[in-house]
Amino acid sequence: MTLRLNEDFPVNEEGDIVMARRLVREFALQRGFGSTDITRIVTAASELIRNIYVYAGKGFMRVSFNEEVVRVGITLTFSDQGPGIPDIAKAMEPGYSTGRSMGMGLSGSKRLMDELTIRSEVGKGTTVIIVKWLSK
Amino acid sequence: MTRDNISVIRLKDILLVTVPPEPDDETVSAFQEKVLDVMASNEPRGLVLDISTVQTLDSFFARTLMETVQMAALMGTPTVIAGMRPDVAITATLLGLSFGRTLTARNMDSAFDLIIEKAAEDLSI
Repeated sequence: MTLRLNEDFPVNEEGDIVMARRLVREFALQRGFGSTDITRIVTAASELIRNIYVYAGKGFMRVSFNEEVVRVGITLTFSDQGPGIPDIAKAMEPGYSTGRSMGMGLSGSKRLMDELTIRSEVGKGTTVIIVKWLSK
Repeated sequence: MTRDNISVIRLKDILLVTVPPEPDDETVSAFQEKVLDVMASNEPRGLVLDISTVQTLDSFFARTLMETVQMAALMGTPTVIAGMRPDVAITATLLGLSFGRTLTARNMDSAFDLIIEKAAEDLSI
């Protein structure tokens, strides 16, 4: 399985979580991140892909690279057309979960990454974008 | 990957189980069942879960590990989680995972020492 940058990787079944993790690991390595950052990025991705699978059933992940003068980065986008998040502030609280989980996914991913943005509309779906930067 | 691929070694009456490195959910569940089965048939004095090959410990996987430790405790077996890689420890802490009062060790040697100590304590009470 290969995935190109800016291409959608569909998440339809539980097995896709492991595959998506593997792809994110490869991209992060290619981008030049060290092993601790790679572990952080892959773990955050794992949480967010699981959220898609658990709450929306299916969705997709996209990987892109950022280029700036003094730094480069990796951006991961997780999108679904699931039920949406009614209260984003609440969903960001550690330990808050509407599913059968520890409720660490969103708050934890934010701490593991440099940036985390959520757009969500009830009944329409959710998009979570995470970014990790690396100094040139 | 099924439960047959999960390595279980019995050494000095202690069961050493190697946690698979990149398990899917099915393997995670198979792992938990296998651990409980081998414990029931072996009645060891302790259980060591070797996580030294685990690269990604997300909250789902961590929860299953913690559940397994709790189930083993209910069956009267002390458990040590051993060999967590530095990257994984950093990530688990940032993620906010809590391992409560679970016994942990840097390597197999210390894990075995911990269990032997624990067994000696229990005898002296």
